[in-house]
Amino acid sequence: MSNVRLLSSDNEEFVVQKEVAERSVLIKNMLEDVGETDSAIPLPNVTAKVLKKVIEWCDHHSSDPVTTDETERRTTDIDEWDQKFMEVDQETLFDIILAANYLDIKPLLDVGCKTVANMIKGKTAEEIRKIFNIVNDFTPEEEAQIRKENEWAEDR
Amino acid sequence: MTIPFTIQDKLGFPHTPSSSPPPPSSLPLPSSSSSTSDIVHDPFLRIDQLKNSFQNLPPQQQEWLLSEIVDQCDHSQLTFLHGMVTPRLKVDFLKRLPIEIALHIVSFIHDPVTLGRMGGVSKHWNELLKDETIWRNMCDLQQYKPPYNSHHNNSYNKSNLLSNNTMIPSSSLGYSYNAMDDKQPTTTISSPYQQKRSNMDRAGGFSYRDHFIRKYSITSAWKHGGHIKVVEQGLEGLVTSLQCDDKYIVVGCENHRIEVFDTATGNKVRSLVGHEGGVWALEFMGNDDIQNPHEQERVLVSAGCDKNVRVWNLETGELRHTLRGHVSTIRCLKMKNRRIVVTGSRDCTLRIWDVEQGVATHVLYGHQNSVRCLDICGNVLVSGSYDNTARVWDLSTGECRHVLLGHDSNIYSIVTDGIKVAAGSLSTHIQVWSVDTGDCLGVLYGHTSLVGQLELVPASGPTTPATLVSGGADGCLRIWDWNEPFNCLQRISAHDNSITCLQCDDRWILSSGNDGRVKLWDRKQGRLVRTLANPAKTVWKIQLSESKAVLLMFRTIAPMAEEGNTVLEIHDFDKSSLPQPSYPFPF
Repeated sequence: MSNVRLLSSDNEEFVVQKEVAERSVLIKNMLEDVGETDSAIPLPNVTAKVLKKVIEWCDHHSSDPVTTDETERRTTDIDEWDQKFMEVDQETLFDIILAANYLDIKPLLDVGCKTVANMIKGKTAEEIRKIFNIVNDFTPEEEAQIRKENEWAEDR
Repeated sequence: MTIPFTIQDKLGFPHTPSSSPPPPSSLPLPSSSSSTSDIVHDPFLRIDQLKNSFQNLPPQQQEWLLSEIVDQCDHSQLTFLHGMVTPRLKVDFLKRLPIEIALHIVSFIHDPVTLGRMGGVSKHWNELLKDETIWRNMCDLQQYKPPYNSHHNNSYNKSNLLSNNTMIPSSSLGYSYNAMDDKQPTTTISSPYQQKRSNMDRAGGFSYRDHFIRKYSITSAWKHGGHIKVVEQGLEGLVTSLQCDDKYIVVGCENHRIEVFDTATGNKVRSLVGHEGGVWALEFMGNDDIQNPHEQERVLVSAGCDKNVRVWNLETGELRHTLRGHVSTIRCLKMKNRRIVVTGSRDCTLRIWDVEQGVATHVLYGHQNSVRCLDICGNVLVSGSYDNTARVWDLSTGECRHVLLGHDSNIYSIVTDGIKVAAGSLSTHIQVWSVDTGDCLGVLYGHTSLVGQLELVPASGPTTPATLVSGGADGCLRIWDWNEPFNCLQRISAHDNSITCLQCDDRWILSSGNDGRVKLWDRKQGRLVRTLANPAKTVWKIQLSESKAVLLMFRTIAPMAEEGNTVLEIHDFDKSSLPQPSYPFPF
């Protein structure tokens, strides 16, 4: 199995197996375009810290079958390994999601988004503000109006 | 906060773990820093100098300095630090991520309550939560179909009941159920194209968000109770037939009268007087091409003991035709459209009428006994008779295509989707035949008594195939797969006594029994949702629409009394149809 060299935005080089790197559709397409190459692939949007995390994920999932089933992708269950993997601070989670989007790694993007979704589920607006440190920028009048607007969900 | 050391003590530190500590001379401290007296006497300047020094350290030394500072902190300082640092490590994901990723996150949240609350987090979240892709996804998950064009809804002729009750105008949208399927996004991340689409949907006056909220509210009102209007005046005696839409409730009575009520208010609109015997069957129909319930020109057809078919203009009450021909009581009646009507009679015949012209176009001979029930789908007419046979007829030619054998006693109920036909009889089983060949496709055993009620529920998606719902004199409801081999999916002991009426849509089953109860069932789970009204002595007729249930009952004035009233109850589950103040939204 041949290796691929990846260069982070802060100029750190990572050597990974081709099959691991190709979890990224972006890298896969680049490799297909340039063919066999010895030069490192520059990833100007990903720092070494995040790239390391992403490679760790790709390595663990390198032999996963590709899921195209919509209903499976829609479920919000996250497997145990991924749950542990996602136990990071919010800033890192944010960076992983952005990197997964940039590198076009759909399953990782899904896991990241599901992790954020699970943080939101079942919470009140105030709890959500606390979790993500969001300032309530409604005026009291607007807030009253929004309560009215969302009565349908609170009815029962 | 006091700083328990001077920076000079530590900078240029001889035991630094860093391989190349910067020499003290390279520190870009302001020149005044050389004067120790300034540092000691002006705390603000000192802190400023510390800050500058920190900023100019290489990252490794910055981290090292921080850990040294933390080491010096006592518990209360650490708590202070924790409170200050923690919120800064938090990220408002939905605000900082690109909108399509933010929406992707929201697409994993399927709980309406959470979605509702999310709109109250901040202005940004409120705006984001208005995105149509979220609500289209939710409508899809909950199978809240967008209002469809009634032309696409005629595969089961009874479904005109549903399309007539669709309140959101759909003609401008050109939606049909099938068209919606084509528009399903292949991934949940919205492309610019889909964004554009959802804006177009809004431009067309339709909002998936409004639609979802309305449907969700209606569903929870069905579960928990809606607004009930009880009408105790204007009806007398036994009720034989009922049909309603968003404008009219039409009730056929044994006392020869037809009473018309306003659906919204429950007020009586008029009485249609003319029949000389009990009215046994009626149906009305509006124009297919007009969606507004107030612009319809409904044609009402009624028949009964006086052997005559009467054609009325329901909007004005004018009697258009009295059609004679049957020589005995007319027992059943169905409209194909506003022009073509079929009646079945105790005189063993069916008649096809052109009610516009006021003439019989065909007389269908063949049955050897009373015609008890009939159904129409497209050009397929089916009839069930007390001669124990069912028949398939060609509606346009009146020709008998098949005689369907298999029952050995009176047939009481029949339904068809134009491909298959099912009939229930006194012989307790249900039999299914092919419309095309007349071959028997299945015999459905399970009921232990007369099967008087059959309803077909069309497929509402790939995961919910078409089902047949049956109600028997054994008090049981059964739900059958409408595809071979017609497995029984649910068996429900619904009423203490015979089931008298049965109505279904894609979510609910509404049943009434001789026990005087009206019960609402979840069709998919086969579970009782609730009992709909206070018990009555008799439930004459029930009808459900998307957002309403109409019940006609006989209630005694006291539990053991004989005398009482015929009561009309309108249960309205659509709060948006009730007058309420509107709240313009400011941002």
